[in-house]
This record gives sequence, structure tokens and C-alpha cells, in this order.
Amino acid sequence: MAFLAKGLLSVARQPCLVNNLTHTFRALSLAPRLQQQQKPTLVNAAVVANKSEKVSSELEQKECQDVFDKVNQQLDERKEGRLFAIVHLCGKQFKITAGDIILVEGYWPPTIGDEIRLEKVLLAGAKDFTLIGRPILPAGLVNVKATIIEKTLTHTKTHFKKKRRKQYMRINFQRSPNTMIRINSIEVEQNVGGPAQVISEPRIF
Amino acid sequence: MVSPTLALFVRSKGPDEFWRKRRIFKLAAHFRGRKRNCYSVAVRYVHRALVYATKGRKLKKMDMAELWNKRVQAGCEQYGITLETFKETLSRNNILLNKKALADLAIWEPKSFESLVKLSRERAVVDSLPGLKERSVMNQVYGLANLKLD
Repeated sequence: MAFLAKGLLSVARQPCLVNNLTHTFRALSLAPRLQQQQKPTLVNAAVVANKSEKVSSELEQKECQDVFDKVNQQLDERKEGRLFAIVHLCGKQFKITAGDIILVEGYWPPTIGDEIRLEKVLLAGAKDFTLIGRPILPAGLVNVKATIIEKTLTHTKTHFKKKRRKQYMRINFQRSPNTMIRINSIEVEQNVGGPAQVISEPRIF
Repeated sequence: MVSPTLALFVRSKGPDEFWRKRRIFKLAAHFRGRKRNCYSVAVRYVHRALVYATKGRKLKKMDMAELWNKRVQAGCEQYGITLETFKETLSRNNILLNKKALADLAIWEPKSFESLVKLSRERAVVDSLPGLKERSVMNQVYGLANLKLD
């Protein structure tokens, strides 16, 4: 029995599987097909999952809240120390901290002196806590400010091809643009674990 | 002025011999022995070096990818989880850190990396992925209900 209960629990924890279950039930039921069209929503599944393990989830919620409170307290007292973050920029991920200089390779429109905010923060961390985004942290939670300090070209790269005994030889030279960015500051702006804000405008990346 | 036929025009070499050779010798300046001083030997080795340099730019990227993989793998094995499971569960959790970022975390931010491993371990058990039977005793991950497993 214990094994069965464990299996059920693991099913209940996965909404997709619960959906599968409900689908099978629908197939078994005698209601006309038109009525069956309404999909069981994920919310329902979540409720099912919550009911089955209400006690443990309450305990978990409390533990979660404790963790959030600790982090928030640290943020309020400004004792979080120096933060680091992993940001997604120009198709690459950089682990940065305040004062870093990072190099963006290839064409990138911003010009020298531009002050920008890096919005795609995948992960931010301090001495005692880490915020992990799925895949990115909510807008406005972590504020990463940066300044463009230099735009240059790379050294000349020689692109040379040769085939032996085939009279084939090609040579080309190329230089691609490089941009240097100084990270000015990384700050956590809001309290973590609060109710999710309604985002009025969709974020465009 | 004598205008050469097309065949001869193609065969005729560009600049003066001295400058043509000097271009090659400049690239061969750091070679050793006759490769540096003797044109017919130098030009062969300069060409070979340039081909290596061209190919090496691609190889360098592949080498780095391999290195990051190794580093993340080593980090995972510390906590008794395989690289495949780790990557699979991270993507199931919708955490899209790449190899480079994970390797950086594994080296410089061990605590953050550990929490990622814990999370992925938990997910692996919940999804009953092969290889992991039980959550470890030390593994305390709270609030999985908030994660909205999908």
C-alpha cells in the first residue's frame, strides 16, 4: 500500500500526468463528446495536487516564507554584500559583478557613453542567497546598470585556405567590431517572494 | 608598351620580388633555422602556419565547450548526479543557463551551484528519472509546490 500511495503522490505532483488521468477518465465517461471538449485547466490540477498533500505543503509554505523573510531582512538591512549576476547579452551569458568590464563581440548598435540596463538576468546571487530565474528573473527585481566604454575593431584575422598540389589558395582578411561594457552596479530592487506584480506591457526581447 | 596575353598576365606575379618575399619573411621572423632565412622553405611553412591559424579559431571554440562540459561534470559528480541528468532536469525546470555559466558557477560560486544541483536532484526524483532513486538526506528543498511543475 505504501508503494501505491507513493506512486499516486508522484502522479499528483505532476500536472501533466494528472491531466493524463483526467483524459482517460473523460474517455471512459458517457457524456457526449461536445461536453468533453472543455479542457481541465492546470489550476484544477494544482488544486488536486494541493489537496492530496495539504499538510506537507503547508509545512513547506512556512519554510519557504521563512527563507523569503530571511532574504528580505538581509536586503532591508543592506547586508547582502556584493552581488553577482548572470546576464544574457548578445546571445552569450556573462557572469558579472559590479565594476567588471565585459566584451561583446560582433555588431551591436549601442554607442560609447550609452547607459543601459541589462534586463535578461538569469541568476543573481549574494553571500547568503541566490535568486534563480526560470528562465529569467521577473522584470524590475534585479537592476543591472552598465555603460558602454569603448567600441573598437578586433585585430586582423587572416582567413587562409590552401589545398596542396591543386593550385588552390585563398586569402582574406577580416576585422569585426568589439564593444566593451563596464558594469556599474547590481542591485536587488524589490523584496523577493512577494505577490507577483501584474505586468501591464509584455516584455520584448 | 607591351601588353601580355591573358595567360601571361595571370602568371605574372604582383609586386617586386623583394617586397613579395619580405611579406613572407616578416611572417616567418619567429621561425627557426632555414624556415626563417630561406624563402622557398619559409613560404611553405608560413602557408601551413596560416592554415593552422584559420582552423584553430574554430577548434578553440570547440575546446572551450569541451572544457566547460568537463568542469560542470566534475561539479555534478561531487554531488552524485550525472551531467546528463543535471542538464535534463535544469531544462525541465526551465533554467536555461549555458555550459559556460554553469562552469563559472561550479568554480566560483559553489553554494549557488550546490543549490542548482539540489533543485535538479529533487526534480529528477519527482519525475522518476533513471539513476536517482532517493533524495539525499541532506537535501532540503522547500516550496516545490510554488515551482508549478510542468
